[in-house]
Formats: sequence, C-alpha cells, structure tokens
Amino acid sequence: MNHALRRMSLACLVLFLLLLINANYVQAFQAGSLANDPLNSRTFAQQYQYQRGPIITSDGKTAAASRHISGVYSYQRYYPYGAMYAPVTGYDSLYSATGIEQAENRFLSGSDPQLAVRNLIDLITGKPKKGATVQLTINSAAQRAAYQALRLSGRASGAVAIQPSTGAILALASYPSFDPNKLAVLSGARLNRNDRRLLNDPRQPLLNRAINQSFPPGSTFKVVTSSAAFSSGKYPSPNTEVFAPTNLKLPNTSKQLINFDNLPCGNGGGRVPMIYAFTVSCNTAFGNIGMKVGGSALRQQADKFGMNDPNLKIPLPVSQSNFPPVSDPALTAYSGIGQYNDTVTPLQEAMFSAAIANNGTLMRPFLVQKVTAPDLTPLVNTQPSVLSQAVSADTASKVESMMVNVTQKPYGTAYQSAGPPATSIQIAAKTGTAQNGINNTGLDDAVFTCFAPVGNPQIAVGVVVKGGGLGADASAPIAVKIIEAYLSSQGKQ
Amino acid sequence: MSAIASPGPSGGQPGVGAAAMPQPGAVPMRSGRRGAELAMLLFAIAVVLFAYASVGLGLNGRVPSGIATYGLPFAALMIGAHLAVRRFAPWADPLMLPLAGMLNGLGIVMMYRLQEVGRNGNPGTLSVPLSTSATFIQIVYSAIGIAGFVAVLAIIREPRTLQRYTYTFGAIGLVLLALPALLPARFSQVANTGAKIQVAVGGFSIQPAEFAKLALAVFFAGYLVAKRDVLSLAGRRFLGIDMPRGRDLGPVLIAWAASLLILVFETDIGTSALFFGMFLVMLYVATQRTSWLLIGTGLFLSGALAASRLIPHVAERFTVWLHPFAGNNPSHSSYQLVQGLYGLGYGGVLGTGLGHGQPYWTPLVQSDFIITAFGEELGITGLMAILLIYGLIVQRGLRAAIAVRDPFSKLLAGGLAVVLALQVFIIVGGVTRLIPLTGITTPWLSQGGSSLVGSWMMIALLMRVSDTARRPAPQPIQDEGMTQVVRAG
Repeated sequence: MNHALRRMSLACLVLFLLLLINANYVQAFQAGSLANDPLNSRTFAQQYQYQRGPIITSDGKTAAASRHISGVYSYQRYYPYGAMYAPVTGYDSLYSATGIEQAENRFLSGSDPQLAVRNLIDLITGKPKKGATVQLTINSAAQRAAYQALRLSGRASGAVAIQPSTGAILALASYPSFDPNKLAVLSGARLNRNDRRLLNDPRQPLLNRAINQSFPPGSTFKVVTSSAAFSSGKYPSPNTEVFAPTNLKLPNTSKQLINFDNLPCGNGGGRVPMIYAFTVSCNTAFGNIGMKVGGSALRQQADKFGMNDPNLKIPLPVSQSNFPPVSDPALTAYSGIGQYNDTVTPLQEAMFSAAIANNGTLMRPFLVQKVTAPDLTPLVNTQPSVLSQAVSADTASKVESMMVNVTQKPYGTAYQSAGPPATSIQIAAKTGTAQNGINNTGLDDAVFTCFAPVGNPQIAVGVVVKGGGLGADASAPIAVKIIEAYLSSQGKQ
Repeated sequence: MSAIASPGPSGGQPGVGAAAMPQPGAVPMRSGRRGAELAMLLFAIAVVLFAYASVGLGLNGRVPSGIATYGLPFAALMIGAHLAVRRFAPWADPLMLPLAGMLNGLGIVMMYRLQEVGRNGNPGTLSVPLSTSATFIQIVYSAIGIAGFVAVLAIIREPRTLQRYTYTFGAIGLVLLALPALLPARFSQVANTGAKIQVAVGGFSIQPAEFAKLALAVFFAGYLVAKRDVLSLAGRRFLGIDMPRGRDLGPVLIAWAASLLILVFETDIGTSALFFGMFLVMLYVATQRTSWLLIGTGLFLSGALAASRLIPHVAERFTVWLHPFAGNNPSHSSYQLVQGLYGLGYGGVLGTGLGHGQPYWTPLVQSDFIITAFGEELGITGLMAILLIYGLIVQRGLRAAIAVRDPFSKLLAGGLAVVLALQVFIIVGGVTRLIPLTGITTPWLSQGGSSLVGSWMMIALLMRVSDTARRPAPQPIQDEGMTQVVRAG
C-alpha cells in the first residue's frame, strides 16, 4: 500500500502546488486590475478611513472638506455651499467622483507620487494620512453672485467669469444644480436613491451647463465675425461703412436675412458704419461681412478663440464649442451672426471677451490655483499660459471700442441693462438672442459676453440663459451682478 | 514540500528488521521529540499572540485589552493538549499539534478582527454581523475541540481497535450524513443558501458531516482492509489498464449513489465531492488499482455534470465560476466570489496588514471566505504560509500512514490526510476561482464549532497512528533466551 500512498503524496503535492500557483496568479498578476476594478468598493472606501484634502476658493472659503464622524467610516465629505459649487467641485461618492474631486483625486486622496514620501513618514511616525489641499481660482463673491443670479432667472443657464490677464476662472456656475452632500452619503442604499432621483430629474441638475453644454451664440458671435473682418484687412476700422440693408438677399436661395423684429439698420439707407451695426446688432450687416470674409476665415478666427477644440481641460473636460466648416455663402451669412450650426459653451462666451480684453491674447482657462501638501509644501502652482493669440492687439482695441458702445451708447443693445442706467462700472459687451427650435418657434436663448472695467479689464464674463429671451434682458443683468460682486470684493469698484 | 513525495522509512521509524532482529542492549530509547513539539508550540502561540496584538494596533492603534483574556486561555489549551500528548501519545509526530494549533489560533485572531468590524469606531459592516462574543465562542469551541482531541488520544490507545467497530462506524457515519437531508429544511438549511448541511435547534447548530467524515473514514478503512483482496482482482484489460471485475463494482457504485444523494438532497457539491473523493482514494490505496480512480472520477464528473444541468443551484455555481465578471454577475450571482477576489487583489503581495484591510465587503467572510480575509490582510505571503501549514499537516499524516505497519491504520491515516488536502483544495480553490465554489469549511480557520472539533479529532487520530508507527519496538526480555515477547503494534 505504500506505493499507492506515495502516489497520493504526489497527488496532494500537485493539489497544493495548484493552489499556490493560482494564489500567486490572483494576488500578484491580477492584483492590479482587481484592486482598480471600478466595482471594487475597497479602493474607493479606503478614502473614508482618512482625511481627504479640502477644496478651497482663492479667498480661502471651503468648498469641500472631510469631517470626522463616528460610525463605520471615519470621515465624510461635506460641501458647505451645497449646489453653489457643485459644477466646480463635483461630488465624491462611495462609488464614483466628478468635477475637481475626480480631476484632482490623486492629490485630494494623497495617492500622488509626490506625496508618497510624506505618507511613508506619516506611517512611521504614526500620524494619520491626510490628503493635499486644492486651492481653486474661484472667487467666492463672484461664485455666489453667479449662482444666485442664475437661480433667480429660474431657467436652465450657465455663467463663467475669467480673469482676462491670466485665464484664472473666477466663477463657474450652472443652474439647475444639485447638492453634492446628497451624493456624499455613506449609505449605499441612500446614495443609490439620491443618485437615481438626480439622474431621472428632467431638469438635468447633474449637467454642468457652464462647460458641458453648448448653445447657439447668436449675435455674440459678431465679436468673432468683427475680429475676422478687421484681421482680413477688408474692413480697416470700426468706422468703415458697411452694407446694411433691411433685407439681405442671400445667394442661391429664396430666403432673406432680416434684422431683429424685421427692423431697418440705421435709417434704412443701406450703409452704416460698422461700429453702429455692431452697437445695434444688425444681422444684415454682419451676414454680409460674414460672406465677404468667407467661411474658412471665420472658422480660422473661431479656432483662434478656442472653438473646435475637443481637448480643452480646466482640468475638468470642457465640451467642444463648434464652428463646423461652412462654404455655402448663404449659410456663411447665417454663421456670421451665430445662427447656423455653430454652438458655444458659457465658458467659450467668456473666452471671447477675455481675449479681446487681454489685447487679443487668449490665456488658457484654469480652475486650480495651487495644491498644497498637508505640511504646507506647495506641490502645484499653476502658471498662466497662453492658449492662442486670438487677434492682434490692434484688432482687439477696435473690437473693444465697438463693445464699449454696446453699453455706453443710448442706442446700444445693452445700454439699459449693462450701461450707465444699470451700473457705474464701464462694461464692454455684446448681446445675443439666439433663435431656437424648429422654425424658430422655441423661446430664444439669451446670451451675453462682456468684460470690465474698460481700460483695466479685471473680469470677463459669459452667460447663457436657455429660453431667457433677449440677451440684454435676461443675461446682461446676471453678468453685471457677477462683475459688481467680484470688483467690490477686490475693492476696486 | 518535497518531503511529501519522498518519505522514506529512514525517518526514524522502527523498521521491520529492528523488531525482528533486536540488538539486545544496543537500542537506545529514541526520543519522542516532545521537547521539539513544545518549542514549536510556544513559537506558534507567540505568532498567534503577535497577530492578535497586530489586529488591535491595526484597528485602534492599541494593543487590544483582551490579549490576556483571549490569549491566555488559548495558550493554556495548547499547553494542555501538549501535556495530553506527552501522557497518551509520547511517540506521536511532534509537528502536527503546533501546526494545527497555529491555524486554530489564527482563526481566533481573524474572528476577533471580524468581530470588531463596525464596532469601536472601526469601519465596515458584515453581511451577517458577528456577535460581540464571537471570539469568545470560538475559544470555547477550541476548548471543546481540544477536549475531543484529548478524548480520542485517551480512549483510542491503539488505532487497530477501531477496526472492530467497522460497521458501527459505518452506520453512525451514514446517519450523520443523512440527518440533515431527512430533517425539514427549517432545521437543516443554512440561511440564504440552498444547502441543507446542518442540524439547528434553537441558536445552536452542528454540521454532522464534519463528524460523519471521521466515522466514514474508519468504516472505509475497515471495510476495504477486509475486501481489498477481492477488489484488487483483475478483470479485463482495457486501454492498457486492468479493469476490476464487473461484479466487484458494487461498493463503488453504492458510494457514488450516496454521494449523488447528498448532492441532490443537501444540494451540497462540496461535501459530496469530499466524501466520494475520500472513498476513492482509500479504495485506490487499498487495492493499488488505478482503474478504480479512473472509474470513480469518471462517475463523479458525469454525476456533477448532470447535476449542473438539472439542479439550478449547482448550475449557477458553474456560471459564477466561468463568468464571474460578465454582465451584472458581479453585483448578483457572483457578488461573493468577486468580492473575495477583490479582497485578494487588494491585499497583493504583502497584504494590508491585520486590521487595515476591508474584508467586510465579502459576504460570509467569517466562514466560507475566511481564506480571502487572510489573503487580503496578510497578502499572498501569509496565504502561502497558511497553505504550507496545511500541506505540512497532510505530509505528516501521509508519512505516518507510510510508516505504520498495520494496513487498517495505514488506510485510516492515508484517507484522513488526503481528505484534509481535498477539503483545503476544494474550499481554497473555490474562493480563489481555481475550481467552482462550493461551501465547505476551512479547517480550523472558519467560524463554527463542528469543523473545529472534527478537525481536532482528526488530528488526534493521525497523531495516534503516528504514535503507533514511531513507537520503538519493545525490548526483548533478555533472560528468556531466544523467545521474545513482542508487544502488539
């Protein structure tokens, strides 16, 4: 029987070898993919065992932080301002994260290699592991003004404010928004319930309208068309007289381009200075300029303002603002007034004005000012960088002079809402009222792009209110509130 | 491990020649190596106490206050077991007790670690929460297990005496095995599973299969020793292998039918495979006929395959095994397996450290999946160490089987050792996705008394056999000339 027993010993050896090999396969070879599997709650739940780094505004207000709790988890994420900062911070839930919580997770969670040595020291000295602090470029006064103004409008809307000289994003708001605290709950069942409610909400509160939804720019696109016109050399100055009929006959179609409410441009004489056409927002004049400059030049100019870029990150991924190639002259005319198939995000609207305000240089927009380790050593300090030279300084000053008239001339489209009757701050702006829906039966989108103060631009703002009607009525007051809040917080009103 | 493959008779056992031709006065009393056993036992106790302290440091940063209340009773039990071995089996293998004690202790440590889940500010929730006395109860079970261990050593002084009760043990084994199937589900069904493998009255439950295993091992050994000459008669040759005669197929068919009945009525493929495997291995060792292994394995595989088609509970096990990550399986049918694998992956090579992992995500981590908790917190390093401990116990058992001369003891020890290897293979292979998952206990580690007591009684039987094998031949009585009195054994 010993012979059979020895064979059985061999068989047992094989069984144990199989177990050992398989254990090595699972725990060494598959370990990485298993540990990082999106469904592996361990990796995600780990962060609730120590203090995740806070997210603070440029002026030191806390937008997101982890507080110690008693119970099964040691820490819970909380968002003191609720929905106001949701488009910026995003949320950090048991299962997933969005916004800055996701984009800067490696710093907030402390897993970045730059923090490895400190974590090791903390481990040895027995100090609890902590995440790094992410400081935003957001100004709390501007953010509050932006969110409250959007909420007051009651419509789906987004607003972004940029510092033109650096690209630092001062405010980034979206409405309707959501309370990230509802997704920071530590009960899976409650989380699923709250998540489902948000996902099924027809008002789409989870959609970040400031950077992830694009709208027709309407007449605000005339900033781009004007820039292309000046850059082309065909239109030397704002005072150049341009063709501005009451009805612009379009080639190869029976359609005619008309002005808002079918009004004549100027006195109906058919020719006006370009600055006048801009100030009162004549469609026929800019439709004609669009055709004269040509679709490809318009597209090139749009690209220089940052459009058609699918890879822009602030570091949140920004949806592309579109200006598709157009060659048909009639469609080019519509493109020239922002009413063909071009669409822009509120961020892009702010970038139009930011480039003009910064002498034609478009700075790369960014949301994270710096990242600081728990021991206060700086890990990241964002240096402003140039995204593109949108227009020459000369062209920028010409466009600026026209944008100033929009608010400062009594006949300008934004005189009442963003001019002297509304505010003492000198604002340079362009309004847009984008038609919508099949046969333009939908409510118009109200669009507004501006910067202020003229002469020393501190802030550029883009606002879109979906279905808001006239840009001057619905969007301009929101931009004015953001500007006033920001400048007063800087003590420069 | 290589020693498993080549255990020669040179390991210090008295050879047949030594008994036949004693050298009067020249045979010194060889040591039973009890001192080595004690030293290794103290080492095992130290490892367990350090592990226990490590759990507390990992969870709260403090050495747990219960280190005396939990650690001292455990140490006392082990020392008590050692003294019993000195008294009742002084020649027994010195490795088995420290190895089994170490596993028992680690099981207690993990029970404490899991008991703290969701308590005293520690994270997590268990699918079936442990009571605050879970660790204490596990120590009580350990005490009962050691009592069983000592009782077996004290009562059974010669393994061969068991042979007299071959059919008694056969009947006991069958009754224990069939009991859960015959009882109504409310007494025998394990909560949240289809398996009917326990007898539960009030809050107290035992799994009779753990004891049936021992009784049937005795029965198979006795039965096969008696019948092995007939069963090893060659019939026709088929594919180069001597097949048994058709009329001798009866016993293997009965065992197969019994295992299928377990499968159908208790829907427990693990227990079924374990018993049939034990029978086959012992049949093979008794007859040395490879054909029995082939016929038996073929029968079992065809039975299991048919069951996988016909019984939904078994079919689902196969799907979970083959496609654990497919579709919504990870959140439904394969949730437990996948959570176990996540834990193993999360542990990686060195593990998170005791108390630092999140084993609580895995349902029933305190019983069937306890090995994934060790893999997560001790890493592949710790998991391999635990597997090697099991491997060493199996090897020592087989070594005893090879060394002992009496065929009944040989079969009994060989069968028990191989069935331990099979059990570890089935459960560890199941939770690490080497084979389809079947819920059986992990010897000494899982929560629960039946497995612990059964495992300790099994170790006692193996040590009893090894004691017999290593006992020196009796000294001849010098003055009686050529006549020698040889003590049985």
